[in-house]
Order: sequence, then C-alpha cells, then structure tokens
Amino acid sequence: MKIDTNIKLPLAFILYALLALVIAQMIFLFRHDLVNAGQFHMPHIWMGSHFLLLGFAVMVAMGGMYQLVPVAFLTPIWNQTFGFVQFIFTAGGITAFAILLGVKSGNCIYGGIVAIIGIVMFIIQMAITIFKQEKKNKMTLFIIGAITCFFLTIAAGFLLAWNIAFGGIASHSTILFSHIVLGITGWFTLLIFGFSYKLVPMFSLSHGFSMKWAKPAFFSYIAGLITLISSFWFGNDLLQTIGWLLLSAGFSFFVLDIQEILTKRFKKKLDKPFSFALLAILIGFSIHVLAFLFKISGIQDPIIWGWLIYLYVMGWIVFSILGYLYKIVPVLWWTYKYSDRVGKEKVPLLKDMINNQLSIILFVFFIIGVVGLTFGGIVQIEIVVFIFQMLLSLTSLVYTISIIRVLFV
Amino acid sequence: MTLATEVEASLFEVIDPELGVNVMDLGLIYGVDVDDNNNVNITMTLTTPGCPMHDTISNGVNYRVSQIEGIGEIDVKVVWEPAWSPAKMTDRAKEMLGIG
Repeated sequence: MKIDTNIKLPLAFILYALLALVIAQMIFLFRHDLVNAGQFHMPHIWMGSHFLLLGFAVMVAMGGMYQLVPVAFLTPIWNQTFGFVQFIFTAGGITAFAILLGVKSGNCIYGGIVAIIGIVMFIIQMAITIFKQEKKNKMTLFIIGAITCFFLTIAAGFLLAWNIAFGGIASHSTILFSHIVLGITGWFTLLIFGFSYKLVPMFSLSHGFSMKWAKPAFFSYIAGLITLISSFWFGNDLLQTIGWLLLSAGFSFFVLDIQEILTKRFKKKLDKPFSFALLAILIGFSIHVLAFLFKISGIQDPIIWGWLIYLYVMGWIVFSILGYLYKIVPVLWWTYKYSDRVGKEKVPLLKDMINNQLSIILFVFFIIGVVGLTFGGIVQIEIVVFIFQMLLSLTSLVYTISIIRVLFV
Repeated sequence: MTLATEVEASLFEVIDPELGVNVMDLGLIYGVDVDDNNNVNITMTLTTPGCPMHDTISNGVNYRVSQIEGIGEIDVKVVWEPAWSPAKMTDRAKEMLGIG
C-alpha cells in the first residue's frame, strides 16, 4: 500500500506557516509598547497572536499531520485534492481574519468564516482518514481528542467574532477563556502528546518501553480541560484549582512515559533540534505546575497570567514545533528529491540536509529571547521588551531562511 | 554465488537516510526467497511502524534488486510482526550508531 503524501501539500502549509511566524514576530516588535504594557486584549496583539497560533502553529500542525498521519497510522490521506483546496481556504481565511482583527475588528467575522470553512474541511479530511485506520492505538486517542478540541475552539472563536461584529451573545469573557483553554491547551497539547509518542521513540531509536501512562495522561488531561472550562462557566474557584491539578497530573503522566522512552533509547547522542523539542516538554510541564501553584497561592495578577500564557505558547507549543520542523522538512525534501535514487546512487543523509550548528545558535537565541522578553514584560521595561522582541524577530527570520535553504540542497 | 546471496549483497547498498546504516546491517531484511524463475520475494520491516521513510526504503530495496542481471519479478513486503528491535542489528551497525 502506498501511503506517501504528495510533498507539495505539507510543504504548502509549512511555507505559509514560516512566513506567518516572521509576520507575527514583526507585529509584536512594532507594537512592543502594547506588549510592554501587558495589553494583550488589543487588536494588533490579536492580529499577531492569530498569525502566530493560527498562521504558524495551526498551519504547521496541519502540514505535519498530512505528512505524519499516513505514515504513523499506516493509512493514506483520504483525498489529497481536497487537501489543496483546504489549504487555499485556510491560508486565505487565516490571513484575512488576522489582518481584519488588527485593522477592522468588526469585520473579522468574514475572514473568520473562510478560515472556519478551511478548518472544518481539515477536520473532515482527518476524521475520514483516521476512521479508515485498521488498528486504532493510543496515539489515535490523543489525535481524536485534539481534533475535537480544535473543532470546539473554532466554534468558540466563531461566537467571539460574531459578538465583535454584531454583539448579542452574553458571556463574552467566559467564551474567550474557553476558546484559549481549548485551543492552546486542548488542541495543541493533546496533538503534541500524541505525536510525541511516535516521534520521540523514532528519533531516539527507543524500544521496549511500555507507554503505560498514556491512558491516565489522556483521561486526566481531558478531565482537567472539562473541569477548568466548567469553572469559568460556573464561576467556581475550587473547580478551577481542581482543573489545573488534573491538567498537571495529565502532563506528569505523559512526562513519565517520555522519561521511560528516553531511558530505553539506543541512540545515545540525540540531534539538537530533537533535544530542543524535548526541552519544550520540560517547559510545558513546568508551566502546568506553575499554573497550579499560582492558583493555590491566590496569584491573580492578569499580567503574570498573561505572561504565563505567553511562556506556554512560546516555550511549549512553538518550541516543540520549531524543534520538530527542523527534522520534518529535511525528511520531506529528501523524500521528494532523493527517494527515487535510493539504491541507485549515493544520496545524502538527512543530517547533511540542514545546518545543525546553526540550529544550536538559533535555539539558544530563541530561549534567550523568550526568557528576556518575559522578564522585560513582567518588570515592564520597554527597552528590554524591544531588544528581546527584536532578537526573537531576527531569530525567526534566520530560522525561516535556514528551513527554506533545505529546499535548495 | 546464488541469486539469493547476490540479492542480499546488493541490499548492503540501500542506506536508511536517518541512521546512515544499510538495511542489512540494521536487520530490516527478514527474508529473501528466490524461486525457480528467479522471481524474488523480500520480507522486510522498518525500525518503527510510523517511519516517514516507509515507501522510500522499500522502493529503494525494490530498485536495487531490479538492477541484478537475470532477476525476475520482485515483491517487497513490509511487515510489522515480528517487530524490529535493536537486537536484530549487526555489531557493525551498533558500532556505527555508537551503541555499546
């Protein structure tokens, strides 16, 4: 059975995503005054965050899934032509939506509708593909959970955009909190959990591990999501504490499995981009525990929580993606360019496709940029925010160029 | 040299691009059967069922074997049972991967 996806499909998503990453960082740079003031509920910040989360993170996730779902689930993509149409709707919709959010928020719903059509097409595509999988496994559970959260995130986002345009829906803030939790915690975290169960053993050449914590991780995390979101709707403080505790427990179970996988690995020297993705797991775990500790300590300062969310997005979601992308793009391009030549002639190895030394510098700069920006934001020193946001913008640009250079090898 | 031996020898030239080690030393080839008409059935696996190089490596095996003179039909079957484990690697592969 041939399961390879046409390379143009995942690449289209990834190239758009890289462009969106740079645009998002540039927007934050130009509006560093808002970032410094902790004013995250402003149109330009919405524009930057949606370029980052929808334009970059969601588009990479979609491109990555077009590539990984067939090989990880041993099931071909249901309809690749449908995938290209989906790309056009999603890319066009996200671009229009993010720009309108920043410049004419009242009209953002029109871009939002196009983006939603694209996202729903993606959900249909993946649902049919995964449904055809002969032998479901623990990874399937995480991916189905992630896609469900994604759908609910989009539904909540639509209500928010409708409210901005026409009003009339009560509980705007509650829907907003649910939207954020479902999106960055539900969709992205469950997705990264699911694929990590496949990618971590693969990149570390690990065998003989049990994955015994996968189900407890999944069910604790889902219970945490439901409890936390319920706490917003019922205004119950205790539920919120329990929600954070369950989310932290779910993440801890996942970390236990990853720890076992790494202990039983046969590849002792891990690639730098992969190590960076592993660091992201540590950051994600720490932030979950911090959120729980902040909650029980009664810390309610919106600036502190705003920066905690920022650290979560950058340190966990974006760092995971940046690390894995450095592995995935060379695989994609290598497959396209050299797969027909395997066995015929000497072909380069994957590690020859990308500059690993540069990746170390870039990843260190990303870490310094995020830590410095968070520090500058919390103490609210504008020049510090500016310098570190400039560092992040330049690093994102060089990172993007370094990935695109792979396509010329 | 029998044809089966010749097929096996040729597979030392098919390299896993992620690990940089050939499929024979990695222990990915489970069986090579050649019938009286020189048709070849190759049973192989990959280091993990979700390997992104699934089609690439099996196509590489197919192509390299097709270059052997006098070869008949080639059938490459990728199986997941028994699952591959590092114990299937040769000492040379282990050495190349820095595994003690």
